[in-house]
Amino acid sequence: MSLLKVNNLKKYFKEVKAVNGITFDVKKGEVFGLLGPNGAGKSTTISMISTLFNPTSGEITYNGESIVEKPKAIQQKLGVVPQEIALYPTLSGLENLKFWGHAYGLRGSELNKRIEDISQVIGIKDRLKDKIEKYSGGMKRRINIGAALLHKPDLLIMDEPTVGIDPQSRNHILDTVLKLNEEGMTIIYTSHYMEEVEYLCSRISIMDMGEIIASGTQEELVDIIKGQKKINIKLDHVDDTLISIIKTIEYVEKVETHENEMILTTQNGENIFKDLISKTAETESNILSIDIKKPNLEAVFLHLTGKALRD
Amino acid sequence: MRVFNIIFKDLKVLLTDKKTLGLLIIMPIILTTILGAALGGTFSSDSDKRAIKIAVVKEYDFAYEKDKFMEFPNNNFLFQNMNQEQLKGLETYMENFSGEFNPEEMFFDGFLDNNDMKKMLQYQVLDLEKAKELLRNNEISSIVILPEDFIYNMYVNFFPLPYRNELDIKIINNPDNYIHSQIIEGIMNSFAETSDISIIGKVTYFETGIDEGIDMMTLSNSEEIIQSFYTIIEEAKVQIEEENVDKQKPLSSIEYYAVAMTAMFILFAAGEGAYLLLEEKDNLTYARMTVAGIPKSLIAIGKYFTIFSFTLMQILVMILYSTLVLGVDWGDKWLVALITLCTTFSIAGLGTMLASMCYKSGNYKMANAFSSILIFLLALIGGSYIPIEVLPKFMHNLSNFIPNGAALKAYNSVMLGDNIIQILPFLLSLIGMGVVFTIIAVYILNTEGGIKNVKYNSAKT
Ligand SMILES: Nc1ncnc2c1ncn2[C@@H]1O[C@H](COP(=O)(O)OP(=O)(O)OP(=O)(O)O)[C@@H](O)[C@H]1O
Ligand SMILES: [Mg+2]
Repeated sequence: MSLLKVNNLKKYFKEVKAVNGITFDVKKGEVFGLLGPNGAGKSTTISMISTLFNPTSGEITYNGESIVEKPKAIQQKLGVVPQEIALYPTLSGLENLKFWGHAYGLRGSELNKRIEDISQVIGIKDRLKDKIEKYSGGMKRRINIGAALLHKPDLLIMDEPTVGIDPQSRNHILDTVLKLNEEGMTIIYTSHYMEEVEYLCSRISIMDMGEIIASGTQEELVDIIKGQKKINIKLDHVDDTLISIIKTIEYVEKVETHENEMILTTQNGENIFKDLISKTAETESNILSIDIKKPNLEAVFLHLTGKALRD
Repeated sequence: MRVFNIIFKDLKVLLTDKKTLGLLIIMPIILTTILGAALGGTFSSDSDKRAIKIAVVKEYDFAYEKDKFMEFPNNNFLFQNMNQEQLKGLETYMENFSGEFNPEEMFFDGFLDNNDMKKMLQYQVLDLEKAKELLRNNEISSIVILPEDFIYNMYVNFFPLPYRNELDIKIINNPDNYIHSQIIEGIMNSFAETSDISIIGKVTYFETGIDEGIDMMTLSNSEEIIQSFYTIIEEAKVQIEEENVDKQKPLSSIEYYAVAMTAMFILFAAGEGAYLLLEEKDNLTYARMTVAGIPKSLIAIGKYFTIFSFTLMQILVMILYSTLVLGVDWGDKWLVALITLCTTFSIAGLGTMLASMCYKSGNYKMANAFSSILIFLLALIGGSYIPIEVLPKFMHNLSNFIPNGAALKAYNSVMLGDNIIQILPFLLSLIGMGVVFTIIAVYILNTEGGIKNVKYNSAKT
């Protein structure tokens, strides 16, 4: 069942077509991923869903109600973790949480209970009385997330919540997302880290230059480049004879070399190893190791756009 | 209520900023204390120390001017048609009058040596050169010059005939001592004005008499009438004295500065308020509130009441501190409360207007320039930096129509014992400004057009 539907959504800033006609839906209970490089239009999309920007055109419905016409339909049900820290730096973590809890209508003992729970979830109990400006980047991010969780939203949108933080905080955040999802929260997660999206999301839309260029489950997306595999071969040495011989093998589409390493891009290469080993044996090179890489979203993105997700 | 949480939060944000707190609350307290102590000597109850020292210079010639007054009928057409007997009567009358009424005594003994006046004023009669020297050495605060014809004019003014001459008392002030100068001017004005009142009474009396066709000399010859003019003179004296008893409680330095600093620093509160909206926008908390469904109007109302509460707090702190620690008497507490409310109302409006302008301009540089220039101008016109008297004439009345100027005058006025009628124009001015500022703020925020300037992410990548 679709909780959120986005239909032919556009947002133009003067000439900049930040979002240019995207369509997707988010099902109740899933973690939906929005993957795209810098400037793809992820944050702009999220701003429209969270009623911050009015779309230039297009529709967004939450539970069947248009949120453009009726922002109230989504506001109380929605938690948003903005890409950048949106907190009062001179107030303490606790004061910030209190204020944002109030903003969502929580009061008194209920609010206190929620703050206690949430600080457990985001793992930041002992520093709650310190001012935000004294926190590390990772701690600020955690409070930034916590502030969006107090009112137990049905839908949580997280806009690149792990940018610029230490690996420990990052893992904590990723695990938190999974735990919240297990408890029944629907989550939209945007990132330009494909590993995160692969790890978390059941369904994914890939965005580039304001448009969605592919959508589906991870398997469906990878299917786009079906059969394509990357094979890393380490050898004792690599020369031109070897390269030209390897290129003659059926299904090998591309050969790249880095010093004594060869990366083959193959199509439908189930039976390639026999050829690979026998052909190499004809040369003076010896194989040290073979590593087969499964196709990933990075490869899908590369395949679709001809560029990498990150520079 | 949501709005209380917003105000509560905004106040907390404002109060956690040590710099702001220092500037807006601690600074005026320190300045008042220092300035008051340095310029005042007001802590002592010793009347001698407290009294303002002045020099009085007599430029008139008493005997000559008295004679000149006696010549008065000879040069006046009113008396041209009098017969010998009548002239004789007039002469006797004038002799009686000038024997009874002594302008010099009235000014010195009746006015300056009055017990209440002595508490705040110490004078010595000097020649002009010597007086100027003392003024230069800061030994006296002012020189009061009783000009040529002072005696003659006083006689004419108080003599029961429909004539009235300007008294034209001159004052030379020590520019270093603004407050004292003001007090002296006030005192001298009150002398001239009070004389004026009784003189107007006199003139009216005669005009009525003439209108009703009563022969002038019959009037002046009548014992009864003569008696009644002695009474007028007596009353005039009493009036001057009374006026000084309850009106001219002088403002001490500390009192003056307590008010002046309050009026100035609440302006800074408005200036600080200018950043409130922009800061929210910058912190992205504005966007977050919008996402939480808090409407822009509520955010703006929050700012309004934040500035309101902060200004109120500022004024209360100043009043409490200056009353309890410095011994300042602000006057009737209900009137002070009323002025405080009206002032706070106009400052909150001003601050919100600035906030909406800065929000709209969208960057700190502009906001900074804008609010600091405006605040500077207001402080200047309102007499917070230099006495209003030094400014060009056309600006004097301007200060009544800016919040700090009107507040300053209203508080001073109540300190001097004025009543609600006298401060009403200031109160109305304050309320009016509050309304105008608020309307402008609402207008600006409305034309801002939806939430198009709100960004949740910075455009940078
Ligand atoms: N308020 C704005 N005014 C003008 N242009 C904007 C505005 N917000 C975003 N843009 C532009 O729209 C495009 C999409 O930006 P957006 O922030 O949505 O990308 P993003 O996918 O979130 O990128 P990132 O990963 O860097 O956060 C960019 O070219 C950006 O410069
Ligand atoms: Mg973004």
